Amino acid sequence: MKSNILFGRIALGVYFIIFFGYLIGPLVVMGFTAFNSAAFPSITPWQCFTYEWFSELFQDERILNGIKNSFIIGFGTVILSVSIGLAASLVLTQVWAKWRSTYYTIIIAPILIPGVVLGISTLVFWRQVSDMLGGVPLLNNGIFLTIIGQSTFIASYCMLVFVARLQRFDAGLTEAALDLGATHTQAFRKILLPFMRPAIASAAVLAFLASFENYNTTTFTFGSYPTLTIELSQMVRYGINPSISALAVIIVTITVFGALTLEVLRRRSKVKAGDIKPSKGLPSWLFGNVATILLVALSFGLIAMVTTAQSYSPQQCKANYKEARQLENQIKIDALQAARAAAIAAAAANGETTEESGTDEPATQGGATGAFGGVFAPTNLEGAAGQNSGEDNGAAAPASPFGGVFDPTNLEGAAGQNSGETAPAAPASPFGGVFDPTNLEGASGTGGN
Amino acid sequence: MKKDKLFAEFFRNNGVVLGSILFFLVAFWIVFLILLPQISMLNYSLHPNPINLDAGEFADDYTLKNYKYLIFGPEGASDAFNKVDLMVFVRTIIAAMAVTVMNLFLCYPLAYFLGQSKGTGFVRLLVVMLIVPYWINEILRAFALRIIFGDVGVINGLMMQMGLIDQPYDFINADIALYAGLGYAYILLMLFPMYNVIESLDRNQIEAARDMGASWIRIHRRVVIPHAKPGIASGMTMVFMLSAGALAAPQVLGGTSSLWFTQLVYQWFNDTLNWQQGAAYAIVLLIASIAIVLTFMKIFKVNMGDIGK
Repeated sequence: MKSNILFGRIALGVYFIIFFGYLIGPLVVMGFTAFNSAAFPSITPWQCFTYEWFSELFQDERILNGIKNSFIIGFGTVILSVSIGLAASLVLTQVWAKWRSTYYTIIIAPILIPGVVLGISTLVFWRQVSDMLGGVPLLNNGIFLTIIGQSTFIASYCMLVFVARLQRFDAGLTEAALDLGATHTQAFRKILLPFMRPAIASAAVLAFLASFENYNTTTFTFGSYPTLTIELSQMVRYGINPSISALAVIIVTITVFGALTLEVLRRRSKVKAGDIKPSKGLPSWLFGNVATILLVALSFGLIAMVTTAQSYSPQQCKANYKEARQLENQIKIDALQAARAAAIAAAAANGETTEESGTDEPATQGGATGAFGGVFAPTNLEGAAGQNSGEDNGAAAPASPFGGVFDPTNLEGAAGQNSGETAPAAPASPFGGVFDPTNLEGASGTGGN
Repeated sequence: MKKDKLFAEFFRNNGVVLGSILFFLVAFWIVFLILLPQISMLNYSLHPNPINLDAGEFADDYTLKNYKYLIFGPEGASDAFNKVDLMVFVRTIIAAMAVTVMNLFLCYPLAYFLGQSKGTGFVRLLVVMLIVPYWINEILRAFALRIIFGDVGVINGLMMQMGLIDQPYDFINADIALYAGLGYAYILLMLFPMYNVIESLDRNQIEAARDMGASWIRIHRRVVIPHAKPGIASGMTMVFMLSAGALAAPQVLGGTSSLWFTQLVYQWFNDTLNWQQGAAYAIVLLIASIAIVLTFMKIFKVNMGDIGK
């Protein structure tokens, strides 16, 4: 029996570790990557401790603009969804019994409708309304659409918060006020509203957070006002860097701070009300409460971090790391060069003189050849231009167009075969094409491999 | 006649000013935010895209061709069915179910533990620890998992340093990262409804069952789970609907070869700019997921009113 209990405890402990590891672990890892100087967010290999991603974050115009838009939209969403949620919960208490379940199904449905669908339907509907009215710019405005789209389901969350609170409301109070001659509006303002104030506060916080982190709905409605989440998603999809982690660290810290403060306040009010007694042996301001201790520790950590950030500089460490890396790379390059020299020697022994220009065949250059060749030689236009159109060759080397001009007939094959490459350009090859047209086809063919 | 009376009662209960405000707000929400947009989207999906009309077709015509496209693919295609999109659809639904079940098993023990323990400081702290990750941006949470599962990510880095593998394992393309991310994104929506109902379970019932000699499994099967059923149903519904409709996690964590159905919708809207087709896909997703949820609710005999409690 006893061993059974022990086994149960161990199993519970392991389960807790797995669960909270899954929940918190990724955030902790992400937090560490914000302080590593590696350009890709990682903790292995650890390079240098740095604050540079934070300063990079604060210099990012798009992030700052996104935060601004998020706050505007969050504010609008809070006002709209809290008032709708409150109204809906009040109506729910007095809607006719026969309709109550239908009504409840309708107002709870937005929570269950996928956010993508809400975003699309909001966008499509208000576009049609705007068209019907002859084009009202407000109705196609990203901020308006996002507030409307988000409020659709956030109002349901708020409604649930209010319903929970209303269940404890004594309707007799309102009746008494009405009997004593108050108007309905007065009774609402003086009795119901004060009673609902805590629920309104928590619904507002909930609504703001839900709006701030929403992605699925916003991604269809934001128009030209990208929120922070939208900007983040662009950053994450088109190139990851640790300044995103830095932002996450800030958000996590604020959230933890807020949650702990709330917890401490709640605890303190309970102690005051006499629900729980402060434990003995610890200073009374701690209340023997883990949350308070954590909050204090967190504050000290933050202060320490901010003060060290003023003086700390990772330059020396970074220089060291760079040196080490360079050394490592140099060894690699040497090895590569040796191997290549051996290969060239072997090829020369086989008597293939064109091999060298073939292996180093330039890619961007080859593409440029094709494009210009196509322009200058109209007969080749179709094939060459068509095959090259997918490329984004940056700068065309001056040598290459001549190849096209002087010898248009050979270009078709060359351009086509090179279009997929991206290796650096070597100046030798185009001349090869110009001066020795018969070799071009074969040479570029090898280059393509 | 009867309706007028009911309305009169509503205004008598609330006063004219307050009554009108309440009525206006709720009506605005239900009509303009919930019902009309969905109807409008349905209507949209039944029209052809005005940019590429077929011969003899007008933009105002009603047509089912957007839905046909999902099932049969473009006309004149070699396959009889639109295999690619249908596969994505089926995969999305099945994967969302799998994620839901995974979350259920992961959350049930914790919900039971939290629900049955008294509200000590430790438990309160656990709850705070649970809530904090949930308030972090969905994108950031997916990004955190990307750091962990990426090619040069933490897991690969650790395994390579320990010498377990010499090539990074591609978690992203194996969809492991995606499933972990989806489960992670909505795990609390599974936990809290269950926690709430289990908390309301009278502990004496469990004591009584134990005294009568019921085994540990039997207590759960006969006492706890029947009581927690509304919470379980509520959590499963939310997790399923939200993961089937998720967009952030698949975009950040999805492999190159595999798509989530919402990504197809997103592509129709933002890349192809064929809103009608995208609306049709969205409708299919909406109706399919609602139908699945209703079917399961029917099988397990749960009411709609239990959701959201």
